[in-house]
Amino acid sequence: MRKVYRVLAYLVAAEVVVQAAAIAWAVAGLGHWVHGGGVFDASVMEDTGGPLPFPEVTGIIVHGINGSAIVPGLAVLLLVFSFFAKVRGGTKWAVAVFVLVAVQAQLGFAAGDLPALGALHGINALLLFSAALWTAVRASAGRSSVVATPEAAEQSVSTAV
Amino acid sequence: MASSRAGRLRLVVACVATAVILGPILWFWRASLLPDTYDATRMGYPDTGGGLVHGGHGRGKDVSTFLADPSRPADVSITLTARRGSVRLASGRLLDGYTLNGTSPGPTIRAVVGQLVEVTLVNESVPDGVTLHWHGVDVPNAQDGVAGVTQDAVRVGRSYVYRFVAEDAGTYWYHSHQVSHDQVAGGLLGALVITPASTVDGVVALAHTYGGFRTVNGTEGDFAVPAAPGDVVRVRIVNTDNGPVPVWVAGAQYRLVAIDGTDVRGPTDVSNRYVLVTAGGRADLSVTMPAGGSAARVHIGGPTGVLLGSGPIDPIARPSSALDPLAYGTPAALPFDPAAADRVFRYDIGRRPGFLDGRPGMWWTVNGHTYPDLPMFMVAAGDVVRMRISNHSGQVHPMHLHGHHMVVLSRDGVAASGSPWWTDSLNVADGDAYDVAFVADNPGVWMDHCHNLKHAAEGLVVHLMYEGVSTSYTIGGAAGNEPE
Repeated sequence: MRKVYRVLAYLVAAEVVVQAAAIAWAVAGLGHWVHGGGVFDASVMEDTGGPLPFPEVTGIIVHGINGSAIVPGLAVLLLVFSFFAKVRGGTKWAVAVFVLVAVQAQLGFAAGDLPALGALHGINALLLFSAALWTAVRASAGRSSVVATPEAAEQSVSTAV
Repeated sequence: MASSRAGRLRLVVACVATAVILGPILWFWRASLLPDTYDATRMGYPDTGGGLVHGGHGRGKDVSTFLADPSRPADVSITLTARRGSVRLASGRLLDGYTLNGTSPGPTIRAVVGQLVEVTLVNESVPDGVTLHWHGVDVPNAQDGVAGVTQDAVRVGRSYVYRFVAEDAGTYWYHSHQVSHDQVAGGLLGALVITPASTVDGVVALAHTYGGFRTVNGTEGDFAVPAAPGDVVRVRIVNTDNGPVPVWVAGAQYRLVAIDGTDVRGPTDVSNRYVLVTAGGRADLSVTMPAGGSAARVHIGGPTGVLLGSGPIDPIARPSSALDPLAYGTPAALPFDPAAADRVFRYDIGRRPGFLDGRPGMWWTVNGHTYPDLPMFMVAAGDVVRMRISNHSGQVHPMHLHGHHMVVLSRDGVAASGSPWWTDSLNVADGDAYDVAFVADNPGVWMDHCHNLKHAAEGLVVHLMYEGVSTSYTIGGAAGNEPE
């Protein structure tokens, strides 16, 4: 259980990396396309058929699916596994990751309305990445600081997967 | 012993906490799953708008009985053959999509007021099936072309005949209303122009984006039209895309003479303003060619336009503000009294996280509910209906009501002060609230949806339903009807 918890936390951190890469790739592709004579406006932005105007649009699609479904799903699973993982303070950190994911999603959607929130979306991404990474690292097996009492240590060793 | 009891207790607490978190998620997920087949008239909940309901919701005369006079011969007859395949733009560029009679846009259909138009739609090779919806034309309900609501999608090898009387002059368009978010974007569409007998019909400028390439009448860049000095050219702009398009004119004076097929009363010269044509909307501009013989350009969005006349023309940047139809033209009395409304509805658009047919995401809401748990606006024939359409969803929504024209009474509490603003495709920006009114004078079951067809496919679709009307068609099922 602890291992699953740790892997889920690493996955959330890795997803933040994927999200950053995907959106930066898409923005770079947009710039490249516009410099090549393309015009990006609502007609293109909302176009639903045919080929993608430029291949890096895939980055926007990946960012959307990850951000609205996969990352929240991982955060929920992390929270659930925290109940069973016997990591001291594990639930607290899983809740922190979950809250940061929820805030991140809300900022992402609200940024279309109020672009300044996009800046907070970027900053919150770093907080989420740090929190997820720390959640994973502190749950690493054999970390003596996590286990406070010999009794808990015994239990933790006997139940560690 | 103590630690094993504590361990057991801890396990129980963990299981309860898991159930508390996953239980509602699973419940919401399961509740969002759509049945394989469902009747659009029985989805959601009836909203009577403060009026009385006589008879049942979804029982009565079938939509297929609302027809143009079947014994009357057609004045305008055309067959449109739908195919899946390559669309060739004027530039020679080939794109995957759909064609009607081998082209996209399909042929422009022209009729004179009073003529009976008969269109035979043949599906030669569109695997999902097709329909044709007459966008902006208040046709009898059976001719509305909405798969699963007013007809079954026309499968490969089958055909369907649409018949309606061209009652109101104006600029309209037609498009498939089966898997519309794909088929309309892919080019299954065309223009329809209805003119009074004596009028020259002007120039159609149908804007469409094919796979990121923006066109006017299938031409990338400028669509050139000959025009002589002093000519007054009516340019009929049709926005078939999913987003609003700004339109303005360089090199000539212009007026906005019609919105969504209805003439503006007392239009005046527009200067330093652009006209916003929302998705699905139309705008007719009257352009007076300069006496000196120079050209004029109607800018449609950024890179596309209509070039009138010949000679060099300097493009001009888009003016910074939009013409507001709320205060444009000369006021006139309305043909009905909106203050004496029989029904008052609220169409409040929001967005929230949740599931749509099992898919997690941020989904559109109407009056706080997500698809399919949406209001069914119930009316009786002859009712005067008022509706407040408001939007706080973070994005613009081009709201399209089938079968009726709404008149705008006010926006954000500011009353209309110009020409009566009749519309069927209303650009409701985030934060806007429009009061509109119409007379329920066309019985049937009518969609009232967002014409950003991606949003419609995401559930931003409600229906206006007349008492005593039912439909035998269903969404999904053996017919494979999927209107959006």
